[in-house]
Amino acid sequence: MAFEKKRTNPDMEMMMAFRLLGCSVLAVMAASPVLAQELNALVWCDHADAALVAPFEEKFGVKVNLKEYEGTAAGMAILDQSQPGDWDVLVIDAVDVGRAVDAGKLAPMPADQLPTADFFPELVMAENNTRDGVTYAVTEKFGYNTIAYDKTKVDPADMADMATLTSGKYDGRIAIYDYYLPVLGLLAMGQGIATADITADNLAALREPLFALKKASKQVADVVAAQTALATGEVDIMVGGGEWVTAVLAADNPNLDWTIPKQGGLRWAQSIGIVAGTTQPDLALEFVKYIVSPEGQAKLATSACYWGMPANAKTGDVLTPEQKTVLRWDEQSEFLTRAQLYPIPDAALDTAMQDLWTEMLQQ
Amino acid sequence: MTQAATERRVGWGLVAPALIWTVAFFVVPFAAMLALSFARMEGRAVVAAFDLGNYVRFFTEWPLFKALLNSLEITAVVTVVSVALAYPLAAIIAFRVPVRWQRLALLLAVLPFWTSYVVRSYSWLLVLGQNGVLNKTLLGVGLIAEPLEIAATRTATVIGFVHFFVMLLTLTIYANLVQLSPNYARAARDLGAGPVQVFRFVILPLTLPGVVTGAFVTFVLCMGDYITPQILGGNNELTLPQLIMLQLGRSGNFPLASALSVILMAVITLAYVLSARWLRLDRV
Amino acid sequence: MKRLVWVYLCAAYAFIFLPVIVLVVFSFQDGRLPVPPFQGVSLQWYAKVLGDRDLMAALFNSALMAAVSSAVALTLGFLAAHGLARSVLPGSVWLRGLLIAPMTVSYLIIALGLLTVFNQTGVRLSLWTAGVGHVVINLPLCFAICYAAMGDHQKAAERAARDLGASEVQVLWLVSAPMLAPALLAAFFLSVTFSWDEFIIAFLLTRFEVTLPVEIWSMLRSGLSPATNAVGSLVFLVSVVAVVLAEVFVFRRRA
Repeated sequence: MAFEKKRTNPDMEMMMAFRLLGCSVLAVMAASPVLAQELNALVWCDHADAALVAPFEEKFGVKVNLKEYEGTAAGMAILDQSQPGDWDVLVIDAVDVGRAVDAGKLAPMPADQLPTADFFPELVMAENNTRDGVTYAVTEKFGYNTIAYDKTKVDPADMADMATLTSGKYDGRIAIYDYYLPVLGLLAMGQGIATADITADNLAALREPLFALKKASKQVADVVAAQTALATGEVDIMVGGGEWVTAVLAADNPNLDWTIPKQGGLRWAQSIGIVAGTTQPDLALEFVKYIVSPEGQAKLATSACYWGMPANAKTGDVLTPEQKTVLRWDEQSEFLTRAQLYPIPDAALDTAMQDLWTEMLQQ
Repeated sequence: MTQAATERRVGWGLVAPALIWTVAFFVVPFAAMLALSFARMEGRAVVAAFDLGNYVRFFTEWPLFKALLNSLEITAVVTVVSVALAYPLAAIIAFRVPVRWQRLALLLAVLPFWTSYVVRSYSWLLVLGQNGVLNKTLLGVGLIAEPLEIAATRTATVIGFVHFFVMLLTLTIYANLVQLSPNYARAARDLGAGPVQVFRFVILPLTLPGVVTGAFVTFVLCMGDYITPQILGGNNELTLPQLIMLQLGRSGNFPLASALSVILMAVITLAYVLSARWLRLDRV
Repeated sequence: MKRLVWVYLCAAYAFIFLPVIVLVVFSFQDGRLPVPPFQGVSLQWYAKVLGDRDLMAALFNSALMAAVSSAVALTLGFLAAHGLARSVLPGSVWLRGLLIAPMTVSYLIIALGLLTVFNQTGVRLSLWTAGVGHVVINLPLCFAICYAAMGDHQKAAERAARDLGASEVQVLWLVSAPMLAPALLAAFFLSVTFSWDEFIIAFLLTRFEVTLPVEIWSMLRSGLSPATNAVGSLVFLVSVVAVVLAEVFVFRRRA
């Protein structure tokens, strides 16, 4: 009888089983295929477009891994939690490049290899992208946070004045973009305070307008929820919206439009840089150069998540006339004069602004 | 070695892997989080400390505390409505549907479980929207004159939750009802009880433990859920999980996020203690 | 009374299936937005989804992680249940409580705890780290189901096998497991279901290789499109087929 033969020690059997399990686990892990060279990029959602990265991947025979994030603090948190060499390329708010440099996250780039001479002059943003003459990032895309609306449901003349938003005429028809920096910046401009001049003291002046706006609005929405709400007619106006909300929907819903009210609007800009500690600085630089080349810029400007103006003015030769109309290419010089940059708060003011935002959400 | 000692050693050997896993990946992380909740943020960096600052903030800052209240209110409504809707459904399937069709009926009742949770929540947003299916139907039929404003409100969040938990509770309550011996009901009827009395005095008390267990699971899952309120609530109010994720995402404030999580855990533990009398979690 | 019952049944099913029906219908939308009005039938979104490399990779990752984490959870849970059921261990009530405790904790908290620990020990995030989290949430379930299913009938058979000279591993593999097969299958099935659709742990604990719910979330962040409906419908279809197959081949056998 089989069972009579050897009475093995149960502990030995157990150990054997565990050793086997351990070996197979290690084998599986080791057998994970070693792929072609990979570039790891921490980016905004507009980079997660196959049409954008595919030409680069083909040209260099590499794979580009993309992780999307929203909000500089989230990106910084991801970088903090990573080891050196985990990431190669970073997309970040142009106004936050300094913060990333202070935190030692960005590596210097050779300025002579970047086509900044072809950029719109205001978008070179040397004060943000460089530090002591060393270039750490280069602007890649920009646009506006202002007022987007459905022109068949809303009187465009009303949208020229921010005060009509809280006048009661559009109660319940408004969505607020869920990012405290541009919205608070817009409200500050509505109160006559320049975004660069926001301090802890005059922040209190923004409380009432902010809460009044919340009261008049239907929801506070992130990028896609905002697009959804405008597209489905859930709301007619979006505070903090701009071409980045309306352009990508333009083909299906040509009623969406945007404008900069008389109080002014905010200019957002995103930069791209090489992460400090990257194991492949040359490939990362090539990726950056690709993104700021007219070809890459055209794809980035019209990418799936949201559209925006390319920093490289030469892109005008690559974009189609329809695309340029949607982006309001010819009106850019006027817009650029009337738009201010995002507020750049220090840590204390940042916390204060976020607390104000949380408080607003709970109204 | 004695037989009993060998038995015990073997027993320990069998339990050890699961125990080690639980301690390493559940107890230790929770302890680490608890420790982190006593840390501080200085500027944008985490500073190891031992102060109750985060907890004090929670109890003194209304926007933070309100998140807990929001969660509790929503969860309470969801639990009550879900149980109220699921119990009759489970009872109908268990008692009225012919036995050979019961498994199919039950399966149909929980089939939507297998659409992705994230996509399902989004579907509700589209159904409940101004120009969504619900409004279009109601307007078309003439039941309402103006579209209902449901999307991006607490009502939408509740509907999304109730949809999920009705399915879950139908499953658990059915499992409970089906285990009941029909003799109890039969005896009660023999003694002259009408159907309502049979339900109230026989079936309900017997199924109460199962219902309470289901309600507790609903409470835990609902209190801790991030997706449904985020997609359906329109950010018009924040629940506790949303507040926690906000600290992780926008602020990178891990200590506060940890403290809020500890508080969430404490609330759930309190609920467990209060309902322990009826809970049979190992027989869910 | 009878009519009321059927009305309630129909209303309940209508409520339960409403989002699913809308989901599937608008996945065929011949237009860019999955909202009314329905503009005609088109298969373009299914084509787009099936051709989406990242999505298919995420689908594979989800399936892999569900299978592996459930297998691990089942093994650990089964062994633990067996150990506690057959031997009288000191403090077994506490042990049982500890093993079941993760069931009462929100996934967000489990994810956050693991994230904290992985950050502090420098472990990189990947499918493995998310898999660890999934085992944590499924282990209590597997343990509870196995423990509840162990009865005297099966203990007697084990004792007999041991008396005849079988080693512990042999007892487990040749006697306990086959006798508990229905419970083991149920536990595995439930674990796979929970792991497959789990979002928050996968979201917080992975980096590039993501699971399907996380990929869908990313898709949603990139814009509203009937492609999301198509994904949801496909997942639904695959799951329904799997459930039907399980029903026919596994559960019916014991009917």
